[in-house]
This record gives sequence, C-alpha cells and structure tokens, in this order.
Amino acid sequence: MKDLLLGTLFAFVLMLASPAWAHAPIMGIGGVAGGALHALLIPEHGMSLVALGAFLGRQQPVARRWEALTFMAALTGGLVLIALLGEAALAADFLLLATAILGLLIAVDWAPPFLGWVLAAVTGGALALDSPPEVSSTGEAIRMLIGSGLGAALAVALLGEAAGWFRAYGPLVVMRVLGSWIAAIAILVLSLRIATRLATG
Amino acid sequence: MSRTTFQSLRSLIALALTLMPTMVLAHSENGVAIDFKGGFTHPIFGPDHVIAMVAVGLWGAFLGMPAMWLLPVVFPVVMAFAGALGVLGVPLPGVEIGIALSAIALGTMVALAARPPLWVAAVLVGAFAVFHGHAHGTELPIGADAVAFSMGFVVATGTLHLAGISFGTLSRWPAGRIAVRAAGGIIAVIGLVYLSRSL
Repeated sequence: MKDLLLGTLFAFVLMLASPAWAHAPIMGIGGVAGGALHALLIPEHGMSLVALGAFLGRQQPVARRWEALTFMAALTGGLVLIALLGEAALAADFLLLATAILGLLIAVDWAPPFLGWVLAAVTGGALALDSPPEVSSTGEAIRMLIGSGLGAALAVALLGEAAGWFRAYGPLVVMRVLGSWIAAIAILVLSLRIATRLATG
Repeated sequence: MSRTTFQSLRSLIALALTLMPTMVLAHSENGVAIDFKGGFTHPIFGPDHVIAMVAVGLWGAFLGMPAMWLLPVVFPVVMAFAGALGVLGVPLPGVEIGIALSAIALGTMVALAARPPLWVAAVLVGAFAVFHGHAHGTELPIGADAVAFSMGFVVATGTLHLAGISFGTLSRWPAGRIAVRAAGGIIAVIGLVYLSRSL
C-alpha cells in the first residue's frame, strides 16, 4: 500500500513539471529538417537572414558571392564551436547588433563592400553561436546543427541573389522601408534584452 | 484496501491535484499583452501618437516623392533609438509636451501646405520621433516577448504612416487637397488640446 501511495505521489510530482521551451516547438520535425526550420523560423534569425540577404543584394555580383561565402565560413565555424561549447553568452546580442546595422545600411541605401565582409562574418558567427541544439542525443544535435547551417546558408544565398534582381525604384523603396523596420525592431529588441538583464541581474 | 488507506490515498490525490493547475491569466502582468498583438495595439491605443504618425504620412504624401517614403523611413529608426533610451531608463524632459507639439507642428505643415527642403522635413520628423520613441520605450514591458512585441509595434507604426500616405494621396485632386489640408488642421487642433493638458 505504501508503494502505491509513493508511486501515486511520484506520478503527480512528475506531472507538475512543465516543459521548458526556448521557443514554440514544431511537433514531429527533428533532424536536418528541424535544424533548417529552426534557422528560418526563429524570428530573430529569420530577420537577420532577410537583412543580410537584402544587404548583399545591393552589392555587385562578385562581391555578393564572396560575402555570402564569408557568411557560410563564419556560420560553419560557429556551428562547430557551439557543438563543442554547448552555449555562448551574448551571441544573440551580437546578432541583433549586426542586424540593426544591416537594417540601417539598407535604409540609407549604402552598401560598402568592406562593411559587407565584416557584417557577413559577424552575422554568420553569431547566428551559429545562438543556435545551440536543444536535444539530449549527440547524433540528433549534430543533425540539427547541419540542418541549421544548410538552412541559413541557402536562405542567404537565395535572398541575396533575389534581392540583386530588384534594382527598380519601387522595389528599392520597399527595401529601404523594410530596412528601417528591421533596424527599429532589432534596436528595440536589443534594448529590451539589455534592460531585462539589468533588471534581473 | 482498508477505509483508512483509501481515505489517505484520496487526500493525497486531492492535495496533488491542487498543486497541478497552472495559472490562467486573462491578460499578462501589468495589464499589458506582451506578444505581437500587444505590440501592434500599443501605438494604436494612444490617440496622441496616432494623429502624429498619420500626420507624418499625410505630409509625406503632400510633399511627394521622395518625402513620401523617406519620412516614414526616418521616423521608426529615430523612434527606436529614442525607445531604447526609454527602455534603459534614460530620462528625457518634456516628453508629453514634445508629443503634443509634434501633432501641432506636423498638422500645421499639412494645413498650410508647407513645402520646406527635404532635409528640413526629415530633421523635423526625426526630432519629433524622439519624443514618441521615448514615451513608448518607457512604457514597454520588461521581460516581454521582445521580438514579437517589437515587430507588432513597428508594423503598427508603419501601418499608421501608410494610412496617412493613403489619405494624403487624395491631394492630387483639388477637392482631395482641401480634405487633406483640413485633416492637417484637425490634427493641429487636437495637438493643441493635448498641449493644454500637458502644461
């Protein structure tokens, strides 16, 4: 009888636990596909990829592709690092900072190649370091990291090439408005993150 | 199972069940929704902000290209910088007066069909965006779902500009021009009311 009581109590204690989600899960999707979706559907990451893609679209084709490769190299390095470290503090802050700068540059329609190299590297590294796999199995973690890398690299390559096609006045204006919105969102999110950190110690 | 054991088990289950419910909140703490919807409604539920942002769109449309899109690009960026100062607790005196003055000035510009150089219009709009941004920043809930809230907030601001631009494009026609200038006059008068309240 005592075992029954203890068992019942233990079962209820287990039921008390609520899941700790960093963000809403997509049920049933894991592995490489889950990692790729993670890179694209997390709002901060998606916004950063769009900002970098739109910025690269303003560059000449050769510079654009080299900067996309820089992003991919930094992304790969960051993914290897996060696989070894498990977590990296301030990665999200650096990602938001790079996104805000990218948004501002798009808004003012200024795309100097030297800044493109730096921002592509920072965005790639910070995005990777802000993507720790939230699974217990090593194999699944590696699959998700590969997926995150592939998703982000593909998104930047496609967005950069697509944005390069929009050279007419109308689409340029839309890009500049979009850039100002991205910059504003990134600045507000970064300030809220800092304020929350200051408030909670 | 004895009667005593059954009662013990029943009491234990009842106790455990009382521990199980999670909080059901009709709305979030501080009475502020902290998601996209909360961010979207935040500027829209402040009439003083609404009229100023609509006035930015009206004036931009009145001035034509490139002011039509340049002013709504300047406003959110400056607003976000000032909002960050507000979030971080950096004080700014006379915020409410500045917001009221923004409605008066921008409404008057539309009413008078003023056409200053583009940089003057951009500086004016940017200067007033500081007050709006700071006011919003101090009201933003710390610990909010920052991305969703900020996205809603910025999209709402852009939507209000777009509403102003849409109405402002009526100025292509003589009757529409009168309607747009009248709207500017109304905004300026509402701004005067806010100014008298904030003094």
